[in-house]
Amino acid sequence: MGFFTPWFLAGAVAVGLPIWLHLLKRHKTDPKLFPSLMFFEYRETSSVKHRRLDHILLFVLRTLMILLLALLFASPFIRRTAAAADGKKLTVVAIDRSFSMRDGDRLARAKNQALQVLGNLKPGDPAQVIALAGQVQALTQVTNDPGALRAAVAAVQPGDSRASFGELARYLRTLSEGQKMPLEVHLASDLQKSGMPPGFADLRLAPGTTLVFHPVGGPDKNWTVENVVAPRRVFDPKRVKIQATVAGFGTPAAKRTVTLLLNGRELQSKSVDVPENGRAQVEFLGLEAPYGFSKGEVRIDAADALPGDDHYFFSTERTDPRKVLFIDDGRRPRAELYFRTALDSTGDGGFQMDTQRPEAAAGANLSSFAFVVLNDLASVPQNLESSLEHYVNAGGSVLVSLGPGSAVLPRVPVLDEAIQASSYAGRDGDLFLTVTDMDSGHPALRSVDRFNGVKFYQAIHVTSAKSRVLAKLNDQTPLVLERSIGEGKVLAFTSTFDNVLNDLPIHASWVPFVAQTALYLGGGGAEQPVNLAVDSYVELRTGDSKGAAAEVSDPDGKRVLSLEEAVKARNFALNREGFYEIKTAAGRRSLVAVHADRRESDLAPIPAETLDLWKGTGSTDSTPLGGAAGTSDAADKPWGLWPYILLLLLGVAVAESVVADGFLRSSAPQRDEMKREAA
Amino acid sequence: MLQRFLDPTTLAGISGLDLVARTVVDGFVAGLHRSPDFGFSQEFAEYRAYTPGDDLRHVDWNVFARTERAYLKRYRGETNCQLTILLDCSRSMKYTSHKIDKLEYARYLTASLAYLAKMQRDAAGLIVFDDEVRNFVPPSTRQGQLARLLHAVEKAEVGNRTDYQKPFSHVREFLHRRGLIAVISDFWEPPEQVVNTIAPLRFHGNEVVLFHLLDPEEIRPQFRDPALLEDLESGATLEVSPEYAAKEYPAKMDAHLEDIRSKAKGAGLDYFLIDTSRPLDAALREYLAIRRGRM
Repeated sequence: MGFFTPWFLAGAVAVGLPIWLHLLKRHKTDPKLFPSLMFFEYRETSSVKHRRLDHILLFVLRTLMILLLALLFASPFIRRTAAAADGKKLTVVAIDRSFSMRDGDRLARAKNQALQVLGNLKPGDPAQVIALAGQVQALTQVTNDPGALRAAVAAVQPGDSRASFGELARYLRTLSEGQKMPLEVHLASDLQKSGMPPGFADLRLAPGTTLVFHPVGGPDKNWTVENVVAPRRVFDPKRVKIQATVAGFGTPAAKRTVTLLLNGRELQSKSVDVPENGRAQVEFLGLEAPYGFSKGEVRIDAADALPGDDHYFFSTERTDPRKVLFIDDGRRPRAELYFRTALDSTGDGGFQMDTQRPEAAAGANLSSFAFVVLNDLASVPQNLESSLEHYVNAGGSVLVSLGPGSAVLPRVPVLDEAIQASSYAGRDGDLFLTVTDMDSGHPALRSVDRFNGVKFYQAIHVTSAKSRVLAKLNDQTPLVLERSIGEGKVLAFTSTFDNVLNDLPIHASWVPFVAQTALYLGGGGAEQPVNLAVDSYVELRTGDSKGAAAEVSDPDGKRVLSLEEAVKARNFALNREGFYEIKTAAGRRSLVAVHADRRESDLAPIPAETLDLWKGTGSTDSTPLGGAAGTSDAADKPWGLWPYILLLLLGVAVAESVVADGFLRSSAPQRDEMKREAA
Repeated sequence: MLQRFLDPTTLAGISGLDLVARTVVDGFVAGLHRSPDFGFSQEFAEYRAYTPGDDLRHVDWNVFARTERAYLKRYRGETNCQLTILLDCSRSMKYTSHKIDKLEYARYLTASLAYLAKMQRDAAGLIVFDDEVRNFVPPSTRQGQLARLLHAVEKAEVGNRTDYQKPFSHVREFLHRRGLIAVISDFWEPPEQVVNTIAPLRFHGNEVVLFHLLDPEEIRPQFRDPALLEDLESGATLEVSPEYAAKEYPAKMDAHLEDIRSKAKGAGLDYFLIDTSRPLDAALREYLAIRRGRM
């Protein structure tokens, strides 16, 4: 039993009121005049009796009224376990089908355990079979059909997901609330420690839930390729570097052979010494990949019971260096020089700059460029601007540089922000502007050291109604702005790229700024990752691309989206290991490599003490765990008692009225006497 | 029907003590059967045949001369009786449990007695006292005596506590002629003290009658709840339980009343207990009986 608003219980102190009325107040009655006290005597009994609770019934009723009123406001409730009265229970058979159950015959043993539990059910007993992986999957409805239950157990196949016992507990709480009967849960699992949720409170069970463990595994030595770092795109195969991490869980020190494969073809092989229960790294140089997407794999000769994690898929794309269109009207030749030099010095960035005049660029096919730079254009032809807008909407990116030339324009091209004025600082003396506010976490500005020491002498003041300001000068003039348009993005730099309006090109932060901006705008920055764990999601469309069809091919090469899903689905869950071919609604294609969550490779089981604690959360008298556990549970629904208390209060109030009325009637002569005295 | 006019609650609605007294006495007298006892006075009553043993002084010789029969001439009683009323106006007389208090009742009784005395041509006087003599109207048959008496009664207000010693010693000095003394009080004193103080008045040949006025609540108090009582005269307070008031107090009160009655009788004092919730006629009847006894 508990109270929703226990502070109202303080109102029970008002019970002193009837005590005062019946006991103390009467004691303080005004003296009654009498001609002579000759024949009256002082007696102790008189004084004591004076204090006795006269009209005991009335006093009890009044006290009860106040107590009930306080109780009513305190809103008491009791926790009522669902349908505990009829003695029925629901048997839930949960089979772990996570990636680790591929180890040996764990899954087969789990299914056998489940079949044994089902065999012990009495005819008519309700039961349900569920499968546990990253999410809980109900394989049957609640049924008493043994055939359906057994068929569901037999149909359980191993998965690539990671077991989540937190999800299992949440499902059981929901089931208990819905079924209104106690649950007896049989969990056939290898009970991996890595399947535990971050907080133990997430494991809590509804009261009345009995949890029975059927462990089917134990600690087992296991080597795995834990991680592979490979470039997303390969421009120069000789300069490619691939790093792989090999880990051992519960393993002795051993030498493992690590092999790099591409499209099923073995490229390189190396041996590595893996320490006892530790990790080792292997580095492969060069990747002779064909043009287009390639399916990469790093494999070890583990020879352990869980071969599924002995390889690690990765995806890469061989492509030519991407072209960058630098549109310049020739007024600032040094800007082109500085930008080209910085772009060429980015290493494996894979960018090739192409400079064109605005008039020529207007007729160019912009979709072949990674991104476009507008270098302080005094005028932008109408057809160029519309081509740029179309290009950006389709996923392209534009970098706009503003200077004295573009100051005459009413608006920033493509960005569509109003140009207001120029912010000047004198070149003589120390009068210059510096960067004060900057979003250092932005991919384009991450390593520019806040433009430290860079002096800005002139900047174009533009509005930021539609854009996000990434950096500001000390006179609050926006220096870097960003706006997403369609699937693309536009970055504006409100000063020039030569060393006239600022001295940025001759500072150390110039090259990182150009390199990161190019990577951010030219690809990689906003694109989805292509190496993911099982149960990750890929985005198929943004809000602006409704109607266009997306495509997903699973590792078997089958299209997995229905027609309706192809035009409506916003994202797709990757629930198998292997390579998925994705084509987003915007038309971008990618090859996504999916690998099992490597936490599944650690086969260490949950300690027995923890399992006992988990079981204990389902007992009826269990105390809630953690802050979140204080909320009501599904099968432990608080049941308010206020309607009954209200009825009782009304009854007591009526009884009090009747008794008090009788008391007042009997006191009528005394009242008359008082009236006479008053008269 | 006439009783209604003697009821104290009815009298309380009449303004002016003279009117109250007239209402009481006239109503009382109208309903009174004439007494069979005859006294000797100037007022002729009847003739009766002489029987041996009758006093010859009462024979009407004129009738005997005319009829040669001896008749006795009989007259209604006639006296020069002096009535002195002693009215207690101590604070305890203010008590009441109903419409009129004891002092008011005593005023009605005093006025009625004075009016009755006037009708019988008796000299009536008044002494108002508490622990002192507060007012004194000497007995007289003069014109306007009734008005003086009623005025004195009207002015009588509650004073202090009762003390019979001091005022009664003064009363003895005021009374030089034998007569009837009516003491109207609640006598909240030990009976010995009351009787011992008043009895000396008898020594001068006075007839003394004690009108003991008590409120019904004083005789049989009705307490539902424990009560804190305060003595009207001393101011002392005492917690009293209803059980005590219902059982032990009445027994003590009865014993007290019996004690005071017996001691009064033993001292030759007439005693009459008056319940202030009762009509006045019983008191008047008592007065007349005593008055007749003096014939």
